Amino acid sequence: MLYRVIDRADVPSLVAAFMERYEVVAPVRRGEKYVFEAVSDFDEIALDYPTTIASPKKYFLPATETLFAFDARENAVTDYVDEVRPRVLFGVHACDINGIMNLNSVFNDPRYPDPYYRAHEDATLIVGVSCTPTDTCFCHLMDSEEARPGYDLFLNAIGDRYLVSIGSVTAANILESACDVREATDADRAAFRAATRARQRAFNPAIPDVQEIPMLMDAFHEDAFWDELGGRCLSCNACASVCPTCYCFDIRDTLDPGAETGRRERVWDACTSPQFAMVAGGHNFRATPAARVRHRMYHKLNGFLATHDRSLCVGCGRCAAACKVDISPIAVLEFFERKGADDGE
Amino acid sequence: MSEIERVTDEPCAPRVVFIGLASCFGCQINITNIEKHLLQVLGQIELGYWQLTSSEPMPDAFDVAVIEGAVTTEEAAETVRRARERAGCVIAIGACAATGGIPGMAAPDITGCAAAVYGDAVPEACGVLRAPAPVSALVDVDFTVSCCPVDPFEFVRVLDAALYGSNRLAPTSVLCGQCAQGEGGCLYKRGQMCLGLVTRSGCGAKCPTLGRACNGCAGLSPDANVGAARAFAASRGHDPARFDEALRMFNTVALVAAGEGE
Amino acid sequence: MASNARGGAVAVHPYHQGGPALTGAELMAANPYRPWPARITSITELTATEKLFEFRFIDDAIRDAFCHAPGQFVELSLFGVGEAPISISSSPTKKGFIELCVRRAGRFTERLHRMQCGETVGIRGPFGRGFPLEAMRGHDVLLVAGGLGIAPLRSLINNIHDCRSEFGKVTIIYGSRNPQEVMFRHQFEMWRHRKDFDLYLTVDHADDTWDGEEGLVTKPFEHLEIDAANTFGALCGPPVMYRFVVQEMRKKGIPYDRIYMSFERHMKCGVGKCGHCQVGHQYCCIDGPVFNYWEAKNIQGSM
Repeated sequence: MLYRVIDRADVPSLVAAFMERYEVVAPVRRGEKYVFEAVSDFDEIALDYPTTIASPKKYFLPATETLFAFDARENAVTDYVDEVRPRVLFGVHACDINGIMNLNSVFNDPRYPDPYYRAHEDATLIVGVSCTPTDTCFCHLMDSEEARPGYDLFLNAIGDRYLVSIGSVTAANILESACDVREATDADRAAFRAATRARQRAFNPAIPDVQEIPMLMDAFHEDAFWDELGGRCLSCNACASVCPTCYCFDIRDTLDPGAETGRRERVWDACTSPQFAMVAGGHNFRATPAARVRHRMYHKLNGFLATHDRSLCVGCGRCAAACKVDISPIAVLEFFERKGADDGE
Repeated sequence: MSEIERVTDEPCAPRVVFIGLASCFGCQINITNIEKHLLQVLGQIELGYWQLTSSEPMPDAFDVAVIEGAVTTEEAAETVRRARERAGCVIAIGACAATGGIPGMAAPDITGCAAAVYGDAVPEACGVLRAPAPVSALVDVDFTVSCCPVDPFEFVRVLDAALYGSNRLAPTSVLCGQCAQGEGGCLYKRGQMCLGLVTRSGCGAKCPTLGRACNGCAGLSPDANVGAARAFAASRGHDPARFDEALRMFNTVALVAAGEGE
Repeated sequence: MASNARGGAVAVHPYHQGGPALTGAELMAANPYRPWPARITSITELTATEKLFEFRFIDDAIRDAFCHAPGQFVELSLFGVGEAPISISSSPTKKGFIELCVRRAGRFTERLHRMQCGETVGIRGPFGRGFPLEAMRGHDVLLVAGGLGIAPLRSLINNIHDCRSEFGKVTIIYGSRNPQEVMFRHQFEMWRHRKDFDLYLTVDHADDTWDGEEGLVTKPFEHLEIDAANTFGALCGPPVMYRFVVQEMRKKGIPYDRIYMSFERHMKCGVGKCGHCQVGHQYCCIDGPVFNYWEAKNIQGSM
């Protein structure tokens, strides 16, 4: 990876350079929390944000997206063009970049590449930024603490400078035009190592580091633990709403008020929705909250690994913050930590 | 039942009637708020009966019965049963028709409530009172448009589903997920008690987005976990009795049915 | 990461527009969510609740490019009503049309059942992995269908029928709840008098009109003789049937990886994205819907 150093003071001009040609989306403060939204000025950006309520997946997979328009009288597809705005996601953490990589592997599956997702992806530049873990962060346990591919620029904070990893020529050109770009010195490299060391130490030690999670998910598939989680699940889907890697959706038709024309849309859905696995005729293959919560965790911590060789969960911890009844992969890790321990279950 | 069986073989617009029971009629009025689209909707149907627009009596034959309001009298119960017999499709609109709504608060003790208002002499015009109930307690309902008042565009969508068919399911997940999508921040963090924990989603979480706690007008989700929700509210300092009291505003009938009413 | 983010807008076209003419296959691949217009060309009433619809794509290029394997499904669109996954009942050996056997079970299928010949629908597909026809060639085949499960198996049966000499002994067991629910009855009656298939029709509850067996779909196994080492099993039916039929096939000695079953799930997108048909770590729509028993055993929550 090519890397260079810029001063922290240069970042506003970098953002300004992006704004000339792109919509810039960045973390901004909203109440006590932070959200990704479009900004018009560098000062709106909270680059040292802890985490956002929801992930930036909404810019790749909008909560509601039109697939095409139709004429209901003719029962036929009609032409439909969606303009996708060229956009820079500025200030994305490594977990979210890994989350987007996971979405890429689903939506760019060569068997059925998804043209809508692809359009968003093609129109989006990603500028990552290093972070300090919050209490619910466990990306290091999900092999997602580092973004390897998947960004155009990545800003690693080292004191009053950034060590910038450069992932694309488009971003390199903008970076060079907007900032005073220098070669890294030995002192910069040492500062980078000191920063990664500090972050390593900052993770919440109460979140257990459990090995062989996929096999444990299989082995304890029938455990009463899932009934315990299901017993308190509210069936609200807040976990899926904030998750960077929940990509399930529903497909539905919406008629315009005159009922002559309409749109086929996809809208976010989640395997924790009670009717998610219901088939025509009414049989529900996951009829209980326990079965649904277990399936969600199974897919995050085992199922996706089986087919894509990496954990779908990236350890961003948002679901742990969003869930009102303490259901999250952290609860699952804690369960495995108790199992088989001398003083445990 | 989905697509309606026409009353005649002639190709003609399906005849729709609007029936108003115990309610404020606000849902029917809200339907007119689609403004310019109202004519488009009316262009697809034959308006057989609507007290808000005509004093013509209800015809004997119709295809779709749209019912607003709770069933609070034996007369209303009979109206609903007759509508079910005649209509290919029954649509319940608004919280009163869907859950019993505000009138439903009187369900545990209708006699006591009537006495509290009228004393010993309940006027004859009240009819023969019965415990308020949603339309679905008396007859099969094909479609429901929830909320107080209904979202008029949601009503149009459901009417279309009744006229032309639709395989879209009414969601049974609860509101918090929709709220989280909006990223407005949870109202419990601001010390408010919100019923989004147990209320059917689909409304777009309009109230919490505006900083106003959900009052449950879309109705308890059939998949709501009231016990866990109550425990969560209690953990945030909200007395479970207050939680239940708030829930009774729109969901007394459901709570009574679940054995959780008074 | 952007590959095309140069400040210009990116458009999503459901239709391919401009440029050189695409083949039917390329047109379909350009947007897998886009249904193609097809006309209903025949409707046959099978039972009180099931009809067999024949569809033909209106566009020649699409019609010529469409080719399927037994066990695959299509997504059928009625615009405004929605979309539904339906397994293909016709054999790939018969080109130019698609037959779908549809039970009236909900709002979508109710609307479809009211449609007439000549009306237009949208169809995309075919999707999924079907039965391993190539591997089955040269072997005996034991097909077991329960109820509507006959719909996808009929595609396989008809395919085998059309190249009968390439297969060994073929046994069909088809169970229904009662005689009124038996589908494709005249086709089975026709076959009963031929030596092509060993045919066992069973009903759970017989009446005066029934001269076949009475009992569950597993009953014919009691006196069934098969060459297990040389036999492929194929089954499709209601979820409750699988465990029992698989057990019978295993008892007869058919290997794990030669027992093939079609799973019923709600394949909404058909292309491995929307998640509705997930079972364990697999998607019925792209990894299935046909799995062998070994695969099924390794899918959490499949049986």
